[in-house]
Amino acid sequence: MHTGVHGELLKIEHLSFSYEKGQEVLTDINLVAHDGESIGIIGSNGIGKSTLMKLLVGLYPDYNGVLEVAGHTVDKKNLSHVREHIGYVFQDSESQLFLSTVEDDVAFGPQNYGLSKEEVERRVSEALAKVHIEHLRKFQTYKLSGGEKKLSAIATILSMEPDIIIMDEPSIALDPRNRKNLIKILREISSLKLITSHDLDFIMDTCERTILLDDGRIIFDGPTSEIMHDEKLLTDHGLELPLRFSGV
Amino acid sequence: MNSIERNLNELNKIQNLQQRSHWMNDLHPMGKLLLGVVYILTVVSFGKYELVPIIMMAVYPIFGFIVGELSFREGIYRMRLILPLILFVGILNPFFDRDVVLRIGNLSVTGGMLSMLTLMLKGFFSVLSAYILIATTSIDDICYALRTIHIPKVIVIVIMLIYRYFGVMGNEADRISTAYRLRAPRQNGINYKAWGTLVGQWLLRSMDRANIVYESMLLRGFKGDFFVHKKGVRKTDIIYVAFWLLLFAAIAFGRRFM
Amino acid sequence: MHMADALVTPAVAGTMYVLSTGAAAVSVKKVREENDPKKIPVMGVMGAFVFATQMLNFTIPGTGSSGHLCGGMMLSAMLGPFAGFLTMIGVLLVQCLLFADGGLLALGCNIWNMAFYGCFIGSLLIWKPIMKKGASRGKIIAASVIGCILTLQLGAFSVTLETLLSGVTELPFSVFVATMQPIHLAIGLVEGLITAAVLVFVHEARPELLWGIGSDSLEKVNEGKLSYKKTIIALAVAALICGGGISLAASAFPDGLEWSMEKVAGTSELEAEGSAYETAANIQDTTALLPDYAFKNSESVAGTSFSGIVGSLVVVAVAVGACYAFRFFKKKA
Repeated sequence: MHTGVHGELLKIEHLSFSYEKGQEVLTDINLVAHDGESIGIIGSNGIGKSTLMKLLVGLYPDYNGVLEVAGHTVDKKNLSHVREHIGYVFQDSESQLFLSTVEDDVAFGPQNYGLSKEEVERRVSEALAKVHIEHLRKFQTYKLSGGEKKLSAIATILSMEPDIIIMDEPSIALDPRNRKNLIKILREISSLKLITSHDLDFIMDTCERTILLDDGRIIFDGPTSEIMHDEKLLTDHGLELPLRFSGV
Repeated sequence: MNSIERNLNELNKIQNLQQRSHWMNDLHPMGKLLLGVVYILTVVSFGKYELVPIIMMAVYPIFGFIVGELSFREGIYRMRLILPLILFVGILNPFFDRDVVLRIGNLSVTGGMLSMLTLMLKGFFSVLSAYILIATTSIDDICYALRTIHIPKVIVIVIMLIYRYFGVMGNEADRISTAYRLRAPRQNGINYKAWGTLVGQWLLRSMDRANIVYESMLLRGFKGDFFVHKKGVRKTDIIYVAFWLLLFAAIAFGRRFM
Repeated sequence: MHMADALVTPAVAGTMYVLSTGAAAVSVKKVREENDPKKIPVMGVMGAFVFATQMLNFTIPGTGSSGHLCGGMMLSAMLGPFAGFLTMIGVLLVQCLLFADGGLLALGCNIWNMAFYGCFIGSLLIWKPIMKKGASRGKIIAASVIGCILTLQLGAFSVTLETLLSGVTELPFSVFVATMQPIHLAIGLVEGLITAAVLVFVHEARPELLWGIGSDSLEKVNEGKLSYKKTIIALAVAALICGGGISLAASAFPDGLEWSMEKVAGTSELEAEGSAYETAANIQDTTALLPDYAFKNSESVAGTSFSGIVGSLVVVAVAVGACYAFRFFKKKA
């Protein structure tokens, strides 16, 4: 739910986390993010990007350090408050859209927060409008194309009007036109966005700030334009220059 | 087309029918479910020699298919899954039951011939009436009807999820079996050596998917319930249901005079 | 094994609905007690999974034919008997609605014949006791094969009984049983082997996903090394002997159901006396809730006169015309 909170929406201090004792997946993460920012999170496979994202929404409550979302500490008793402020768009839209029509799925979040019928209706219409899929409203989820599914999945999160939106590999499996459309739509969304992706070109088009993770630590946190030109830094941590700079 | 594709195709056709704009689609789901069940109940309650009232009961599927603009061929095609057992059960009736119950000119109709015919008609009509129900009522609407008769929500939600993911899983099954066949062109199915790994890995992937579905529900405030679209009962709903119920009753009670 | 509506009378269908509803009520209560919200999406997705795996063809070694999976045993090995049972109800309902596999009225029978035996008997009486002290490859194979064969035999036998009690067939009990049981013996064996292969894989990859395994199962993974081949052969032989025995026994008695009834009641015709029965018979006569078995020999065979049949066909023809007219005017309006 959009609180209109300005300034620090996300505060992470000395965060560390391990699934099993002695094997830290994330070590001493420090990060502050503000309203309206768009942050890319990059790194090679299996270095903890998804774990970090899932920690933010409280799916793993046993961590060390400070983790605050819109002023609420992420812990078991605060979970519903935290989740009102933060939305998660999963990589697999098919699993995110579990109801049979787009409309029902977009309404699911607002309904669960006990909003009135009129308010739910308003939220659904607005969310669909924001991703330009008003025409898909009554469609069966099963029959949507890949691009339509992704946009519907984003709408299911937008209808909750979150301050923070997390997106896990949003550009995966999209054709060039759908990818371009998604970039345009993401630019229009004003909430704080955290986008994980291996598609560095996509990050360049959507994020002004980028964080590079490797081995559970933050290696770089700064302007996207800076890191995307730093071939040594990228290749040292298992990545490659964005296609547009690599001269392939 | 293989059998998986055929099933997915059929699912697709039914979903298209459910989304048509037709006045029968707009009828209250509870009324249609009730009619479907009462119709089948009435048809199967007739005795094995009661051909006349069973033939009379054809008026409901006739109405459903003509007025509902459904394909009669599709309806018959849906007989294929239950037909083997019905045939097995009924086909020998003429041999066991040879008493003549009816003479039409020189033709002697035995009890067995009659009971086989009524059995086939019963099977046929019940499949047709179920088709009329599902072609005009979405699973979501049927789930709403189930909720109104107090079927526990865990069962109803599971039905909604099975329906939602059947298409997704069916496509996966199609990809898996196609990928398998392309590399094992001389087998007509999956070799026993691959039974465990092929299905097992798919099962583990499905469990992972279930996990994501759960997380996605949780992050949107899931508290153990789904919301259903409430539907008001209109005058048309009551008239429609009452008309058919009276007609079924008339056939059931009037059959003594036929 | 899915029964169609035409095979049951309202009385049989109703009885089976009552039994299945009872089992469902117990399951709902147990699942609620577990209070694990995560189970709901797992049930839904696994239900769809089982539904989809039923469409796969599995080659049966040494034959040209192929087998399929039904899934009750597999579901309950993953979800436990109660959640497994509720999931199977969902699968059977969706199957019956979308693909006309089974009927709405026969759903109670189908739930009982497939879901109840598969989940309750297979899981609680076979799987759980065998896995009590931990699982092993051999135990999983044994439990799956015995469970599938037994539950399919019970299911097939129930189909036979339900159909015979409904009075729609003239097939003698012996012929019916002697056909149903051996067929389902083969089906059960194949299904058992597929289920075993899948569950052995799951046990090796993610043992924590299996239900009802004893607490010390993890340490015992490598124990009980019964060879895969030997187990299968032994079980196949055992199953064939059982099935053969049942079929022989069934055909040895000319009409087993009547024979056993004679032994139990002392007469092959059940006599009922008293006013309660008469009242019931009257109600039955007027409502036609039960088929009239005595029909054949009665003087006038109602509903079968030539003129009656002609009349009813005329009604049908008129109905066809009226419906086209209705559609025509409805469209114009």
